[in-house]
Amino acid sequence: MSIVLRLAWRNLWRQPRRTWLTTGAMVFSNVLLVFMMSFQFGMYDLMIENTLKIFTGHVQVQAPGYLDDKKMRQTVADIVPLADSLRTGLKSNKVAARGITFALASSEERSYGIMIYGVEPGFEPEVSTVPGLIIEGEYFSGIAAAEIVVGSVLARNLKVGLGDEITLLGSGVDGSFAAAVATVKGIFESGVVDLDRNIAEIPLQFFDDTFYMQGAGHQISIFAADLNDVGDLQIDVQKMLPAGSNLVVPDWNLLQPGVRQAIQADMSSAFFMYFVLVILVSFSVLNTQLMSVLERTHEFGIVMALGLRPGRLGRLVLIETALMGLMGMLLGMLAGAVVTLWVAQVGFSIPGMDEMAVQFNLPATMHPSLTLFSLTTGPAVVFVFTILAACYPALRMHWQKPVEAMRAV
Amino acid sequence: MLRVLFMLAWRNLWRNHRRTFIMLAAIGTGVWAMIFMTALTRGMVDQMISDGIKEMPGHVQMHNPEFRDDPSVNNLIALDDAELAARFEDAEFKAWASRVRVPAIVTSERDSRGVTLLGIDPVSEREMSFVNYDDVAGRFLESSDDKGIVIGEKLAEILETEIGKRIVIMSQDPDNEIADRGLRVVGLFTASTSATEETYVFMGKKTAQKMLGIEGATTEVVFLGDDYRNVDPLYDAVVGKVDGNVEISRWYDVNTYLGTMMGVMDGFVLIWVIVIFLALSFGLVNTLVMAVFERIREIGLMLALGMKPGSILGQIVIESMLLLAIGLTIGNVLAVITILPLQNGIDISIVADGMEMMGAASMLYPALYANDMILANAVVLILGFLASLSPAWRASRYEPVEAISKV
Amino acid sequence: MTAVSCIDLCKTYRQGDQDIKALDHVSIDIQEGGFVCLSAPSGGGKTTLLNAIGGLDIPDSGQVIVAGTRIDNMSKGDLADLRLRQIGFVFQAYNLIPVLTAQENVEFVMQVQGMAANKRRDRSFAILKEVGLEGLEGRRPAEMSGGQQQRVAVARAIASRPALVLADEPTANLDSKTAGELMELFKMLNELHGTTFVIATHDQRVMTFAKRLIRMLDGQIVEDIDQRAA
Repeated sequence: MSIVLRLAWRNLWRQPRRTWLTTGAMVFSNVLLVFMMSFQFGMYDLMIENTLKIFTGHVQVQAPGYLDDKKMRQTVADIVPLADSLRTGLKSNKVAARGITFALASSEERSYGIMIYGVEPGFEPEVSTVPGLIIEGEYFSGIAAAEIVVGSVLARNLKVGLGDEITLLGSGVDGSFAAAVATVKGIFESGVVDLDRNIAEIPLQFFDDTFYMQGAGHQISIFAADLNDVGDLQIDVQKMLPAGSNLVVPDWNLLQPGVRQAIQADMSSAFFMYFVLVILVSFSVLNTQLMSVLERTHEFGIVMALGLRPGRLGRLVLIETALMGLMGMLLGMLAGAVVTLWVAQVGFSIPGMDEMAVQFNLPATMHPSLTLFSLTTGPAVVFVFTILAACYPALRMHWQKPVEAMRAV
Repeated sequence: MLRVLFMLAWRNLWRNHRRTFIMLAAIGTGVWAMIFMTALTRGMVDQMISDGIKEMPGHVQMHNPEFRDDPSVNNLIALDDAELAARFEDAEFKAWASRVRVPAIVTSERDSRGVTLLGIDPVSEREMSFVNYDDVAGRFLESSDDKGIVIGEKLAEILETEIGKRIVIMSQDPDNEIADRGLRVVGLFTASTSATEETYVFMGKKTAQKMLGIEGATTEVVFLGDDYRNVDPLYDAVVGKVDGNVEISRWYDVNTYLGTMMGVMDGFVLIWVIVIFLALSFGLVNTLVMAVFERIREIGLMLALGMKPGSILGQIVIESMLLLAIGLTIGNVLAVITILPLQNGIDISIVADGMEMMGAASMLYPALYANDMILANAVVLILGFLASLSPAWRASRYEPVEAISKV
Repeated sequence: MTAVSCIDLCKTYRQGDQDIKALDHVSIDIQEGGFVCLSAPSGGGKTTLLNAIGGLDIPDSGQVIVAGTRIDNMSKGDLADLRLRQIGFVFQAYNLIPVLTAQENVEFVMQVQGMAANKRRDRSFAILKEVGLEGLEGRRPAEMSGGQQQRVAVARAIASRPALVLADEPTANLDSKTAGELMELFKMLNELHGTTFVIATHDQRVMTFAKRLIRMLDGQIVEDIDQRAA
């Protein structure tokens, strides 16, 4: 260890309590930053995944304008063959075509306006969590079966059970009157009341027959292997669309702008909080280092009188701060990782969180996920600000005159 | 005696003015952040709640006990219009209204959508509705027998319809026969979120009752009180006026998300204030430890001269409290002067859809509450007091002889 | 009347791995109105004896009686009270509280005693005048010379009219002229008010002022001279 380092290290321990308190402030913030960031980014990923998995998918193929208006006649023609070719082209089964419309669903006793999803029974489970949420009965027996799967609240409200019939009334793609009768094949429950109350699925061919779709549908929902591959997927899909078609391939940011923006809004408030924490730690460091310099004015005066350049003393102060910052960073990362991993094990829930969690498609108990990013970013920023905070005390050296300094007590 | 301690504490505070200024900057920043952040989030939640309540509307609602799970025309309130009027006419509620609220489908020549049909008496709902009647394009409903329909701008866009055109509204009557009727669009309303504009359509209450075949009956009675934070008096008053098979719920029973938001918000404020304080406390304790360390000899002298250890402790604690009090003042003033110019709202429409997902609007109005400020200040003072006890205790335990001879 | 009485005091310190006998069976009596010098080389035990008399330090064995009260077995709080009301102190350095003015320093003890403000004020002005600091009442310690600071300390020590003033090397940081003036002041106050003075010193000039000179070495009294005759 060089002499300067050794000197700096010893100077730190002249006032052990002060050094520990300052390091403590860094460790405290670092633990908080590591934990919060692990928690936050883990939560975002879950929010995205869970929201997209219900129906949306990573990208969709749609008719232009459908995204904004969701009109019945904004269709994708020959949707099943197109979905098939995409599956072949992408070598992936996570591709499913749908038709979507509003209809009045009537049982013997009740009528409700609901959204009807016409789905490909073979592929829908690959792109949507709904088929997996069936609590009673089962999914469709075939693509043309006159069957319907409804949400649990809807089933209760319509007072229907498995095997009962539901009449669907709506309008076809050409505006004509459309009606059909379907047998309840399954009941799903997602826990999201809006979903369970307002949605029913029927097989795509049955949908086509009922609403005169003539082979057209409204969207093809597609998942990439990973959220990070969405950009590539979007380009691939675009290339595979039939030549001359005007279809569009919006990604999840466009399909669910709320998710991204909710994340942005949450991030900006989180970063405000982080920033305040970092600033407070910097003040703590500034205070400590200024004190430590002022205390040693006399001592520094002597050394300067002996011919040491003020710059070197300034550097000494910076090295002391860096050592302290390093200590705070390493201990903070260690403690932060321990806390985060522990909470990741046992899970974390705030009383009353359930309601909020449902709103954002999150589980009630959350597990932070420690990543290299969440582990290092906070502590690194704290370290940088620590060094910045020490600049003022370090620069003070330059203004100090040896004689005056020596006279100071 | 206390005066001496105050004087000593005050003068000692300014002995090392640089250190004091840095600490004041830190405390001021911390307290500012506590209050500022709290005001912003409070503002957001307040607006979410008030928008949410307006949409419901009312602080207290009355339904058939089955209705909330099964919002059907079959689940009517046991009391008919005449009976309700008799019971609530002279009650001292800020406002109340009875309405027909059923799910329905609207169809234009172009498209159809599932909506919530509200059959209302426009006069009695004026004060509670999320629709500002004067801002409606065209006109709002004029009476309970108005033959027109008012829909959201977004819905009109989807249905490709406009004022003056006819649309068909379709629902079921109590016998599960299709009840439908064509109505002319007379007005388009705007709301803070497009989901609201897509969801609700307004009809005259009597027109709706006639269409649904439930003349004189309603599905929902809504009551507005003075303060949504304190709805129990209103709730009790309503409960006192009715008997029989009805369910009376407070707004937070109806929208549990908003209800929990309010609770979570209180928790968040407290946690945020404590976290900031903890970050500050290291600096505070450090400063006090330094101050005590520098003054060991003086403390020894005072002890030697016969000052009681308790007074030494008091002196350090007072010094700490003075520091905190000044810091708090700075922080509070900063918070107020940064929040006041933002009273007219901060435009955050860049993340409007995200805010909508949370149920919030795209303008953020910071809400500065005395209670939140008191909480922040009290936490800082109380925890600050506790944090300064340790260095102060240490100072008071010095042996005068040793302290005096320490260099 | 006996102002201070010490009976068979012993006190041992540990310094490094050595035991140092600071007081080794010391017994003395000091009469009221006395002007006593404790003289010893460094480490001779004079400060320890002074601290024992002032209740700042508690002997390992033996008794200390101040103004008729045994103090070696008193509680800390009672000792603080005793110092506050009966004893004035003048230390070698750091005598004054830096954030207080000369006058406030003088008032400090009276204020802690709970004396009324106007009374304290009159007295502090009078005493500062008595010690020759008229006009400097508003100065802080850092704005005064060493001699002036020590005068303020003396003024404070006698302000509350204690029966006994203990001074530990009061002249150590002063030049000989100032030191002489300070001793003249002590002597004047001793004669004027009848206050008992016990001064620990190794300053020859100081010793010549004393009515009684007690020499110590290695924690024992080796010589006890009545100088009034001389």
